[in-house]
Amino acid sequence: MKIIKKTALAIIITGLLCNITFAQDEPKTSRKSEATIALSYYKKADMSRKSIATVKTKNKEGKFVPAINATVNFYVLNGNEQQLLKSASTDNKGKAEIEIQKVLPLGEDLSFTIVAKIEKENLYDDVEEQMHYKNANLSLNLNPHDTSRIATARVTEIDKDGKETPVKDVELKFYVKRLFGIMPAAEENTITTNENGEASFEFPKNVPGDTAGTISVAVRLEDNEQFGNLENSATTSWGTTLAIIKDPFPRALWGAHAPWGIIITLSLLFGGVWTTYFYIFLLIRNIKKEGDTLKQKTTT
Amino acid sequence: MKEDNIEDESKEAGRRNFLKFGALAAGLAVVGGGLQKAFSEEKETGEKVKVLNTSDGKVYEANTTNLRECNGPRISNEEARKGIPNKKFVMVIDEAKCDGCKKCTDACQEAHFIPPEREWIKVFKMKDSETTAPYFMPKPCFHCDSPLCVKVCPVGATFKRQDGIVLIDNERCIGCRSCMAACPYSTRFFNWSAPGPEEVAAVGNMPYSPERGLPRRMGTVEKCDFCPDMIRQGKMPHCVSGCPMDAIYFGDQNEDAVTNASGVTVKLSQLLEDNGGYRFLEELGTEPRVYYLSAKNRKYPIPDMKDINNVRKGTKPKNMDMENM
Amino acid sequence: MSTEKYNIKQEIETLREDCLRPTRTFNRTTQMWVGFLLMVMGWGLYCYIHQLGHGLGVTAMRDYVSWGLYISTFVFFIGISHSGTLVSAILRITKQEWRRPITRSAELLTFVSLLFGGIQPIIDLGHPERIGNLVLFGRVQSPLMWDVISILTYFTGSTVFLFLPMIPDMALCRDRLTVVDTRFKRFKKWLYTKMALGWQGTKSQWHRLEKTMTIMTIVIIPVAVSVHTVVSYIFAMTLRPGWNSTVFGIYFVVGALYSGSAGVILGMAAFRKFYHLEKYLTPRHFDLIGRIVLALTLFYAYLNMNEYWIPAYKMATAEGHLLRDLFYGDYSKVFWTLQFGTVLLPIIVMSFPKGRKITPLVIICIIIVIGAWIKRYLIVVPTMLHPFLPIQDVTTQWSDYFPNYVEFSVEAACVAGIFLVITIFSKLFPMMAVWEVEEGIQINHDNATAIELRKEREAEDAKTIEGLPISGDQSIKQQV
Repeated sequence: MKIIKKTALAIIITGLLCNITFAQDEPKTSRKSEATIALSYYKKADMSRKSIATVKTKNKEGKFVPAINATVNFYVLNGNEQQLLKSASTDNKGKAEIEIQKVLPLGEDLSFTIVAKIEKENLYDDVEEQMHYKNANLSLNLNPHDTSRIATARVTEIDKDGKETPVKDVELKFYVKRLFGIMPAAEENTITTNENGEASFEFPKNVPGDTAGTISVAVRLEDNEQFGNLENSATTSWGTTLAIIKDPFPRALWGAHAPWGIIITLSLLFGGVWTTYFYIFLLIRNIKKEGDTLKQKTTT
Repeated sequence: MKEDNIEDESKEAGRRNFLKFGALAAGLAVVGGGLQKAFSEEKETGEKVKVLNTSDGKVYEANTTNLRECNGPRISNEEARKGIPNKKFVMVIDEAKCDGCKKCTDACQEAHFIPPEREWIKVFKMKDSETTAPYFMPKPCFHCDSPLCVKVCPVGATFKRQDGIVLIDNERCIGCRSCMAACPYSTRFFNWSAPGPEEVAAVGNMPYSPERGLPRRMGTVEKCDFCPDMIRQGKMPHCVSGCPMDAIYFGDQNEDAVTNASGVTVKLSQLLEDNGGYRFLEELGTEPRVYYLSAKNRKYPIPDMKDINNVRKGTKPKNMDMENM
Repeated sequence: MSTEKYNIKQEIETLREDCLRPTRTFNRTTQMWVGFLLMVMGWGLYCYIHQLGHGLGVTAMRDYVSWGLYISTFVFFIGISHSGTLVSAILRITKQEWRRPITRSAELLTFVSLLFGGIQPIIDLGHPERIGNLVLFGRVQSPLMWDVISILTYFTGSTVFLFLPMIPDMALCRDRLTVVDTRFKRFKKWLYTKMALGWQGTKSQWHRLEKTMTIMTIVIIPVAVSVHTVVSYIFAMTLRPGWNSTVFGIYFVVGALYSGSAGVILGMAAFRKFYHLEKYLTPRHFDLIGRIVLALTLFYAYLNMNEYWIPAYKMATAEGHLLRDLFYGDYSKVFWTLQFGTVLLPIIVMSFPKGRKITPLVIICIIIVIGAWIKRYLIVVPTMLHPFLPIQDVTTQWSDYFPNYVEFSVEAACVAGIFLVITIFSKLFPMMAVWEVEEGIQINHDNATAIELRKEREAEDAKTIEGLPISGDQSIKQQV
C-alpha cells in the first residue's frame, strides 16, 4: 500500500509540475508526465518483422521507470507523408510492440523510416522517435552432413530491386534456443563477417539437446546501426541426447506406488493380525453354533 | 481435446472471457500433429505463439489461427499428474541481486488471487548468525525431489510430476494437513475459510485444474506451484517475470539453462559454479529444485534487521534474530 | 478361611446381584447426568457443524500451527486407550489373580477412548466427506494411512477383546432378566440374547472361549503397541525440530501406558464409588495397580530424559530454539509444571504405601491424566511454532495458537461422549466380569479348602513323623 501511495503521489506531483497549463483546459490531462521512446526493429527468419517502442518516464526520484499503458502510434514515412501502421499500448515493462506486415517504402538512401509517436495521450506528454534501417537478410546454413559442426551465417543487403549484396565487418552472435529464451552457444559467440558477408562458428559439443539431440541454433545481428536486429535459426542434431527416463514414476516413498518393502511389511504385520482375527471370528461363530444347537435340543 | 468440449463452449460467458485471456494456453489442447502442421504452414495470418507440446515436451511456434479453443479442464487431471515429459524445471534465486522489494510476491499474489496472509513466495530477511551479514531470501516451494509432503499424503492428493513439479489436487485433498506438518520450509497453506467474493467473481466459474489450483477449495492445502499453466504457454512463472532485479531465474535443468525476467538465458551449471550456488538446508536431504546464489557482491543495501517482526525466536542468543539451520 | 462353614454359593450369589444391580436402575441422578452429557454433546455438535460450514478457520488453527487441540487430543485419547490392553492383557498373560475385578472397566475404557480418539483426525479434516479417498486413493507410504490401518485393527481387536469375556455375563443377564428387571425389558432381552451367542456354559463352549481369549490376549498387545508407535510416526516421520526423534515410538507407547493405567484407576474408583463395589475393588487392588503406574511413571520419566536431555546437550540450532522456548521461554511454566507435577510428584507420592491408598492415588491419577493431555499439546504445538524458517511479518493471530471455543466445545463433547458411552454401558452390562470374579472366588475357595485339607494332613503327619518340615505349604500360600 505504501508503495502504491508513493507512486501515486509521485505521478501527481510530476503531473502538476509539468502540465499546469494543460490542467486549466482539461482537468483529466493534468497528470501527464514526460516520456521518452526508444525504438527498435526486429526481423526474424520467417521474414516477420516487428517494431518495439520502449517507453520510459521519470519517477519522483528522477529515475527512469517503464511507462505503463501508453498508447504508441507507429507510422512509416512514405516520401514526406507519414502513414499510420498500427497502434499499440505499452505493457508493464513499458514496451509496445507491432507486427509489420506491409512492404515498407524505401527512401533515397535505401532505408525505410518508422516513426513512433505518443499523441494526445491522457497519461503522457506528446513525444516522437524515428528510426532508419536498410533491408537486409540474415541466412543460416548448418550442414547436417558436416561432422565439424560449423554454423555459417551470411548477411546481405537488399536493394530496391531485391538484389542482395554481402555485408562485411558486422558482428554476428550465435545462440542456442532454450525453453524460455536464447542462450549464447559458447562463452565467445561473436564472429565478424568476412568480405563474402559470411561468419562461421564452430558449435560446441556439450550443448544439451532433446531426446534426439535436436537443438535449435540461432544467429543474430544485434542493434546494428544500419540494419537493426536480424535473426535466423535452424534446427540440427548437434546437441547431446537426453536420456529418456524409462520409468519417471518409480516405486518410491514419494511415488504413487509404494516400494515393495513397505507393502510386504505392512501386509505381513496386519495380514497376520487379521488372519488371527478371522480365526477368532470363526471360533466365536462355533460358540454360537453350539449354543444354537443346544437351544434347539432343549426346545424340541 | 474431445469434440464435445467445443460444444460446451458457449455455456458461460465468464469462462469464455477467461479463455480469451488464455488464448495461448488454449492452443495446448491441440495435439502434437496439428501443431507441427501449423508450424510448417508459414503463410498463415494471425499471431505466432510459442506452444509447449505436452506430449513430447518440445516447444513449437504455432499460428493462433491453428489453435482451437477448448472448454472444460484443458489439462486433464491425469495429464496434470504426469507433467511435461523430458523437462526438469529448476529455479535459481540470486541473493546478491534481491533487494527485498517483494515484487515477486506481489506478482504471484495477484496472479493466483492469494489472500495477503499467505504468500506462496515469501521474502525472508535472513541473518544466519550474529556475526554474518543479513540478506534477503525469497522462498517459493522448493519442489523437492524427495518431497516429504508427498511421502506423507495419505491419498496422493499432492504428487510429484516427471517434470519435477510438486502439485496439489484440491479435488482429492481431504485436508488432513499432514503435508503442512511434514514440509520443513513452511511452504504449504491451508484454505481455512471459503475464498473471498472477489476471487469467486474472478475465477469461480473456471474449470478446476491442479495446474492452476483455482478455483480455491475450502478445506484443502495449497502452495506455490511453479505456474505450470504459464509454462505450458511457454511463459515463466509470475514471480520470475515479475522480478525487477532479475534476481530469479527459471528454466529446464535438462537444457542446463535458466532465464530471468529480462530474458537473459544463462547456463545453469555455470551460474551455480560462478556464484556460490547452494540449496537451502541441504542437510535435510529433501533435494530441493530451487537453488540460491550466495549474497556476494550484493547490489542492494543490506537489509535492516531492526524493523523485522520476527514473531517467534529463541530466547538466546539475543541478537540472533534468524533461526534457521 | 475361617472356622465358620464357608458358603461359596452364597458369596457368588451376592457377587452376581452386586454386579447386576446397577443395570436395573436408571434413577433421577443418572437421568440428569445423561441429560447434561447430551447437552454438552449437542453444543459440541453444533460447533462442529459450524466448523463444517465455515471451514476450519473458525478454530484458532492457522498455517503455522496447522495441527492443534484436535490432534493433541487424538494422541491423548489413543494413549488412554492403552489402559485396557495393559491391565487386561498383560495381567491376564501373567495370570495375576487381582486383575479379575478390573478387566472389564479397563477394556471398556480402551474401547471408548479409541472410539473417540479415532474420530479426532476426522474432526480435524478439512474435507471429512472425502474420507472415502483413503480407500480409493490410499497410499501405504503415508504415516496417516498406517494410523488408519492400525487404529482400525486395534479397534476391531479391542471390541472383540471387550466382547469375549462378556459372553458368559450376557448369558447371566439374559437368564436373570425375566426375574426382576422391568425397564427396557424387551430391548434388553433382545440385546442380551443376541450378545450371549446362545451361551449355555458347556464345557466345549468354555474351552472355545478360553482359547479365543488366550489368542486375543496375545495378539492385542503388539497391536496396541503398533498403534501408539504409528501415532507417534505422524510426527516422527517429519524433519521438524522436536518431532524428528527416534525415541518417539517408545516415548508415545510408554506415555500412553502411563496415562492409560492412571485412567483405569480413575475408572475403578468411580465404579467403586457409584456402583458400591467396595467389596470387590479393595485398597489392595489400588495398591497393586498403583505400583504399576509408579513403574510406568519411572519409565516415562526416563524417556522424558532421553527426549529432552539428549538434544539439549547438543543444542542443534533449530532444535535449540524449540528447547529454549520450552525450558525458559513461553512454554517453560507449563513444561516444568508438567515435569515436576505430573512426573516427579507422582513418583514421590506413589513410592510410599500411603501414597497408594485410594484417595491420594486418585488425586495423583487425575493429575497424571490431565497432565498427559497437556503434554500432548506441548508435543504438538511448540514444534509447529518453531519451523526452520523464521516466522516473519505475520499477525499474531497467524503465528500464535491457543485453542478457541469451537475446539474446546468439540473436545468437551468428545469427553462427554466418553462418559455417556461408559454410563450407558454400565446401565446395560455388569461393570465387572462376573464369571471371572466368580472363578477367582472359586479358586480362592479351592485353595482354602486345599490348605485346610493340607493342614489336616499336616496335623496327621505331625503325629506320625514329628519335626519333619513341610515343603509344599509355602507355594500354596503364594498362589493365594
